[in-house]
Amino acid sequence: MDLFLQQLANGLVIGSTYAVVAIGFALAFTVLRVINFAHPDIFMVGMFAGLVAAVEWPALGFLVVLIAGVLGAGFVGFALERTVIAPLRGRDVLMTLIGTLGVAIMLQNGMAVIAGPDPIAYPALIPRRFVDIGPVTLTLRQVLNFAICLALLALVSIYVRWTPWGRATRAIAERPDVAAAFGVNVARICQFTILLASMMGGVAAVSVGVLYGSAHAFVGLLYGLKAFICMLVAGNRYFEGVMVVGLAIGFVEALVTGYVSSSLRDAAAFFVLIGVLYFRPNGLFGSYAT
Amino acid sequence: MTPVLTIRSLAVSYGSVPAVRNVSLEIAPGELRVILGANGAGKTTVLKAILGLVRPRSGEIRFRDGTDLLRLKPHEIHGLGIAWVPEGRQLWNTLTVLDNLKLGGFGDRDKRAVDRRVGEMLERFPRLGERRHQVAGSLSGGEQQMVAIARALVSAPGLLLMDEPSLGLAPLVVREVFRLVREINEMGISILMVEQNANQALKVAHWVYLLETGNIVESGSAATIGAKESVRDVFLGGHA
Amino acid sequence: MNLASLEPVIIFTLLNVCMALGLYITALSGQLSMATAAIAGVGGYLSAILTVKFGWPLLPATILAALAGAVVGTGLALVTLKMRDFILKLTTLAFGEALSVLAFNWDYIGGANSFTGIELKTTIWTALAAMFVAVYVTWRFDGSRLGFASRAVRDDPLAASAMGVSIAQVRTVTFAVGAALVGMAGAIQGHYVLVISPHDLGFFVSLNFIIFLLFGGLQTMWGPVLGAVLLTALPEILRFSNQYRLILYGLVIVLVVLRRPDGLLTRTPTGRAVRLSGWTLVPARAVTQTSPEQHNRPLPASLRRVADRVPLKAAAQ
Repeated sequence: MDLFLQQLANGLVIGSTYAVVAIGFALAFTVLRVINFAHPDIFMVGMFAGLVAAVEWPALGFLVVLIAGVLGAGFVGFALERTVIAPLRGRDVLMTLIGTLGVAIMLQNGMAVIAGPDPIAYPALIPRRFVDIGPVTLTLRQVLNFAICLALLALVSIYVRWTPWGRATRAIAERPDVAAAFGVNVARICQFTILLASMMGGVAAVSVGVLYGSAHAFVGLLYGLKAFICMLVAGNRYFEGVMVVGLAIGFVEALVTGYVSSSLRDAAAFFVLIGVLYFRPNGLFGSYAT
Repeated sequence: MTPVLTIRSLAVSYGSVPAVRNVSLEIAPGELRVILGANGAGKTTVLKAILGLVRPRSGEIRFRDGTDLLRLKPHEIHGLGIAWVPEGRQLWNTLTVLDNLKLGGFGDRDKRAVDRRVGEMLERFPRLGERRHQVAGSLSGGEQQMVAIARALVSAPGLLLMDEPSLGLAPLVVREVFRLVREINEMGISILMVEQNANQALKVAHWVYLLETGNIVESGSAATIGAKESVRDVFLGGHA
Repeated sequence: MNLASLEPVIIFTLLNVCMALGLYITALSGQLSMATAAIAGVGGYLSAILTVKFGWPLLPATILAALAGAVVGTGLALVTLKMRDFILKLTTLAFGEALSVLAFNWDYIGGANSFTGIELKTTIWTALAAMFVAVYVTWRFDGSRLGFASRAVRDDPLAASAMGVSIAQVRTVTFAVGAALVGMAGAIQGHYVLVISPHDLGFFVSLNFIIFLLFGGLQTMWGPVLGAVLLTALPEILRFSNQYRLILYGLVIVLVVLRRPDGLLTRTPTGRAVRLSGWTLVPARAVTQTSPEQHNRPLPASLRRVADRVPLKAAAQ
């Protein structure tokens, strides 16, 4: 039982990160009807922005490094939206996928040129300490990562449900024409949505960097595919669904690692995907007609 | 008196498929004009062109004192005071009734006025008031139509574009809807309605256009059009 | 530059052309398979098992690999028969990944350590022969009744079936034939690279082929050819800039997508403009996405060609 709870806890920590990255994908996909392949690499840029800030100005606290991550990721995301995503609006979704893939390749390899292709050590902004929560033991970093990701998810949820722009965002996701006809400046809100997704990714990225103590130019590949699967499994009707699925997949992976075999960990997400799609091709929580 | 809306020689195509070939019409302030036509005649396309949701191949659309609607984006057109009741309601089904109404006034700078009008709508339609926190997709067809109309009214428009308001509704509900339409028109709001249900439409309209495969083939007062043999046969089942 | 150093580029280019064409045939009926790399992997693994463990010569092993590809293609087509566009792509993706994981854990074929010990049996001539086969098959298919029926199924399945075209048959056959070409190419590639690893079956490799297709243009069969040639040769040509070449590669992709969102090739080599009949109907400079009323759409041009060749039963009466 204790093993189960421990794995549950570990899984939730990982899952919360998946959920944050997946929400970024989901926002782009449901609102802009775009598969933003570069999203995980914007995440990566955020990680490195934080790294640079932490290294250049070691006196700064964790919070400021987070802000650096936000700014770095946000800037790249905003630029991406203006240069690649907006001009391609209305075109076949695959074209935007390829366009953003091109950008992803540039970002990954650009960073590899600047920082080298191997992982770099991340400054230990949060001390290594263990925290006991009942029968479960976690590191302080894990707890912090989980807390930060949950805060981000809550933020998105509040934004989408309680603010006018958030309502408009959901309206655009469901019926963009009608939203435009009722005064919603679709272009501006789409811009902001990508900006939001990128900034969130930036925060989570710094947290993950601190959690694992390393930053890697190709870290996007790890999270990208998993987060994409989360989005597909959840369907695009409810943003909260994506969050829940992210946590669930993290949990499933942890269980597989703990009880089955660690080499099958990466496959777990795919099997979940196939299983869910077979019974519910529109995702667990359904989708709008695309 | 300058017309509220003037359309001249409008032509719209989807790719290489012409949906509207040559449409010209105008609406005087306070009038209720109806475009009658069968499925696929191009009626919805005309409305979408006015709203800026489709770019026409040629033609002119001007609002009030000459504002060129073709230069504006949809949200700007809404800001001028043109509201839409789309075909099939097209509510945001995952949002609550209240959210749908609030979004109706999204572009408005005067938030307090919008809130006030939302409250007024909920009072005017008590059934909606009861269901204000209910998800819009769970309402009946008639209730959804009320939400759609209320949503359009929240922005206090000068011109209302209505697309087949009777579609898919029971006859009793249809009568209620048209009663509401007349009430709105009597308040001074100009209405351009697109319909297949000629029976009801002819009762409320001042002027009728007949649209056939993208062209206006007849135009006249409701009485004139209603008396025509061809219209009676096609739209009214052979009797007035 | 001597020929020997060009050999890898040439062979990879030729084989990528084969795979791109195989994908093109499948995609012609509206099924954009994301399992191409996995099918190539199946072909590769199978042919390698036959040559290494059972001593078969290359040709029969390749033929069997093509057959295996056809079987897999048929299976995928049948499974996704009722699926919509987007879900179909996803299922093929998931299938590809599942195969990849399977390959990782199956020690008979080397597992995570890849299948090694393959003999070098492929030469430029072998690859050229494969390419000729692929080009010939695609060319004959493209202009045949089946080719037009495929386009009809892609553009308007309802109208196509109303004209007597069996959607199930068309989709199954196109998937099978396309997959056979891919399997063949996979076998030949395996006997050049001499190592087949589970990574090669994954989604990113499959995506590469899709990029060849979309980059080069889907309207004619030469689009994928051009796409495959350019995008395989380009990283090699850019080799001089070493580390920066991938960055340039990404940049080229972005620029082409922005400048020519319909792909590079929209006319056949003889200059005949090919009508755009892709997955999305592009409204007349629409501000947001709208869809035309169903009743006004004429039958797609592709259907007219099917009609020409289908004998009219009415004539007999």
